[in-house]
Amino acid sequence: MTARVTPLALSILAVAGWAVSLAVLLARPELLLVALPGVLALATLGRRGPLPRYTITHRLSADRLFEGETLTVTVTVEAASPIALLELRGPLPAGAVLRAGRPRAIMVLRAGEAAEWSYDVRFPRRGVHDLGAVAVRIRDRLGLRTWERRHVAPLAARVFPRIVPLRSVPRPARTQPSVGDYVSSALGEGIEPGDVRQFAPGDRIKQVNWRASLRLGQLYVTERHRERNADVVLMLDTLAEVGAPPETTLDLGVRAAVSLAAAYLARKDRVGLLSYGGVISWVRPASGLVQYERVADGLLRADVVFTYVAKDLLRVPTRVLSPQALVLAITPLLDRRFSRAALDLAARGFDVVVLVVSPVAVTRAAIRPSPADDLAGRLWDLERRGDLAELRRHGLPVLEWRPPEPLEAALVDLPRRRVRLPSAG
Amino acid sequence: MTRLLAAAAAGALVLLLAPTTSASPVLAVGGLALALCALAIATGWRWAATAAAVLFLIAYAAALSIESRPLEVARPLGVGLALLLLLGAVDLADRARGASRHGRVVAAALGRFVLLGAGVAAAAMLALALATALASALTAPAAPLLAAAGALAAVWALAALVRRGARPG
Repeated sequence: MTARVTPLALSILAVAGWAVSLAVLLARPELLLVALPGVLALATLGRRGPLPRYTITHRLSADRLFEGETLTVTVTVEAASPIALLELRGPLPAGAVLRAGRPRAIMVLRAGEAAEWSYDVRFPRRGVHDLGAVAVRIRDRLGLRTWERRHVAPLAARVFPRIVPLRSVPRPARTQPSVGDYVSSALGEGIEPGDVRQFAPGDRIKQVNWRASLRLGQLYVTERHRERNADVVLMLDTLAEVGAPPETTLDLGVRAAVSLAAAYLARKDRVGLLSYGGVISWVRPASGLVQYERVADGLLRADVVFTYVAKDLLRVPTRVLSPQALVLAITPLLDRRFSRAALDLAARGFDVVVLVVSPVAVTRAAIRPSPADDLAGRLWDLERRGDLAELRRHGLPVLEWRPPEPLEAALVDLPRRRVRLPSAG
Repeated sequence: MTRLLAAAAAGALVLLLAPTTSASPVLAVGGLALALCALAIATGWRWAATAAAVLFLIAYAAALSIESRPLEVARPLGVGLALLLLLGAVDLADRARGASRHGRVVAAALGRFVLLGAGVAAAAMLALALATALASALTAPAAPLLAAAGALAAVWALAALVRRGARPG
């Protein structure tokens, strides 16, 4: 516990010093009497009393929430000895918005008395927010001395990006051996009819195509296409961002990524994550609810880390970036290193789809409109159309999302590429 | 409520100082002190409260010096307590700004201040009795020197107390 003399004590010392000095200079004993209350108050600093005893506990109403949701921080103080004045400052992380109550409290407590104080905090932006520290300052009876301490508990709120339900998502060009929702070109067990061929030993009766058999006088069977899943890798551009939080191009990209992850996982696909920026991080493709947690957790921490270095995707393990995977590159295309990386992947035979979060729309939403800014925005838009056309010339399917239009509207722009897909198994 | 307490202290100071003198320069200094008080109460700036307290003190000292009244006890004690209340209330108002309050914060502060006032009154009586006894024993040429040395010692002792109060423990 750190003890300090308060600024109030220094103020009283200054006034008492003036009073004593004036009393001597003017030879007026009344001024000594004016100084007397201050002198007596300061004399209490010489008394060494016991340190105030108390316990502080604080809790959160939720530790996992979505962007825009609110949680309640509750702090409970129990005084074991009388506390003349207790000042508390609860946690309020940067970017969080106070919704109700106040993050500071002052209280007077008798011995054995307890007090509870709470306030509501809204988190407009994803992230892991530390809510573990409560700063405490106890003042003595006359407010001349304080004891300060920080109470730290391992409390944090994980704020997940909001999911937008998606009905249509880009279809992968290749499938994997496991069962899923895509009709594979490989024949086997499935629902979608494929080829019709002559009956062979081992074929099951339910496969017999009776109409063809009656017409041709021989037994024929209907083969069916297998239904397979796919690997999808969400490649997020964390090289640069524009816009004002919580609506930066990266925030929007993260929301798009988590929505796509939820949509593909619902289709039994294996989804992985690759954050491409100053630091490369990844989540290996897998399926299921637990994988959603892993991907969302990876996206929580996605942030722009500035670097001059262009990271080589060859360093990413094959089990993360499998050649069979659909790579969905989500980018504002602000940094050419990302478009080069996407083109490099496409050149190496990866199935790449680029989802561009328009920085023009995001920037326009963040600034006050003016004729000059409008003109600059239109010029920038023209320049970007050239960039997108360049990517399309290289054979990359490019989808442009212009917030605040819905993500779904951008995704339906992609033409249905292949109905029956080549299979890995 | 804490601001009201500070305003009451400022009002008490004006009421205590106004009857002391009618000299306009002194009243002007008092007016400036009052304006600083208003600034301190509105903004919670401690420096403004300290400056206002010092200006009130200078105005009171000037008034005493100009008017050459006989020795009073109650009024200077009242001025001293009002100055202390002004500083304490502005400090408390600053602490309470933007904070939720639990318990009787202002009532507890006021209670402690009343107790201090009683202690101050008792100490003043004791000090006057001692000073009367000491005054008869002192020679006139030594008195100013002793007063200056005593003032220096008092201020030094207070500064030492403040310094010691900052140590942990």
